[in-house]
Amino acid sequence: MKVSFNRRLLRIFAAELEKLATLPTIRFNLMAAFMLNLVLAAAFTSAGLQGAAGTQAILNTGLASMEYLQTGFIVLGVLSACSEYTGGQIRTTLTVMPWRGLLLSAKLLVLALVTVPAAFIIAGSGILYSFFMMKETAAGIEIGTVISSLTGATGYLTLTTLLSAAISIVLRRSTPAMVVLLSYYFIVSPLTMGILPGISHYFPDRAGYYMYTPFTFAEADALTALQGTGLSLSWTLMFISAAIGLYRRRDA
Amino acid sequence: MITINSLVKHRRKQEILSGISFKARPGRVTGFLGPNGAGKSSTLRILLGLDRATSGSALINGKPFAELDNPLTRVGAALDGAGAHRMRTGRAHLCWIARAAGLPRARVEEVLEITGLTNAAGKRVGSYSLGMGKRLGMAAALLGDPEILVLDEPVNGLDPEGIRWIRTFLRTRAESGNTVLLSSHLMGELAETVDDVVIIKQGQIVADGTLAEVIGKHPTLEEAYFALTTEYPGENV
Repeated sequence: MKVSFNRRLLRIFAAELEKLATLPTIRFNLMAAFMLNLVLAAAFTSAGLQGAAGTQAILNTGLASMEYLQTGFIVLGVLSACSEYTGGQIRTTLTVMPWRGLLLSAKLLVLALVTVPAAFIIAGSGILYSFFMMKETAAGIEIGTVISSLTGATGYLTLTTLLSAAISIVLRRSTPAMVVLLSYYFIVSPLTMGILPGISHYFPDRAGYYMYTPFTFAEADALTALQGTGLSLSWTLMFISAAIGLYRRRDA
Repeated sequence: MITINSLVKHRRKQEILSGISFKARPGRVTGFLGPNGAGKSSTLRILLGLDRATSGSALINGKPFAELDNPLTRVGAALDGAGAHRMRTGRAHLCWIARAAGLPRARVEEVLEITGLTNAAGKRVGSYSLGMGKRLGMAAALLGDPEILVLDEPVNGLDPEGIRWIRTFLRTRAESGNTVLLSSHLMGELAETVDDVVIIKQGQIVADGTLAEVIGKHPTLEEAYFALTTEYPGENV
């Protein structure tokens, strides 16, 4: 019996969702990211209580852990993509769902669907913690700014996860993928900011930074949230396109 | 019916397969023999759409694997190892496969029962022995009750009971009109299971026929195999 395209797509979605849900390392990683983010939020809040007040202070404090929190989402992208290459699972995947372009697109979409709520909850918990601890000093909090920053943070973490997954699909092994990604985010990018400040804004992580940093709080040559989103999205789509192109052509 | 036609595979500058052709027919168990590195696994991987052929074709009922509508219900494949993530349980592994193919969960329990893995289904695949991993790979291949089975070294790592089970199972499948293609280097086991034999050496087919035809004047399949695949046949006698 012929299977319709929609039914095929639904089955791939369901299978990929089940794969993510039944991989313990994914759950452990998200739980660890949540816990560590709360610990960092508590530390930054404790330090922030001695300083500025208001919406800026709450947001700055609540999102101060983003630089570290993104590591959890880089690991999420790496784990979800490289898990296919553990134990020869890729062979099973491709003999059950041999439509490679469709499969990888659906896989990344499922990863995004799982990441969005996780990123929203984890990033939001940091802001919420800061809010409750600093509300006495936060006169006239702007809820619109908080929501906009939280949405930006969620988007940034989701795009970081997808970009990490795309690079991991190209590299196929988790260790090289982690080395490449963490080296970029924690060595190359910070160095570039000092050496080439003019163009570092356009790199995926720096452009993403403006997705959750309110324009009014950022430096003079900053990008707007929309520009940051556009650039970050473009980088992610570029890497995803390259990953899909390679995935379709190469031997499994 | 599996049809391999003038299949060529180059990897880097090396020619892995040099235009091989053969068929695996319904109702028969076809044994695919050859030394390590002869091209058996490459042929099966191309047949299953995992690797790309440089030229030629490998078809399942006249179609490339990727063009099959619901592949799991047409072809069951078990290649080297379990083909499963070490951290997932055997049952969870089979469940996502069943979901991908639109099969009911009850079928997962059935194949666990068939392959004798029911008691180990809740354990992580990483804790499985080689034989249990093979059984899990077999369970995945059987999920869709396919008309064609493609198995790479299916008895490797199985205990004597498992080997006997798989021999009987494959014979029963073939006698029901299904196509079975299996690669192996265990001549004794193969001689008791297969109807047809294809022997590959350095990417070229050196024998293709019924078991009796390939054995020819040699006393056993093993003797025929070494005569066909060894540079100096006497060295293995």
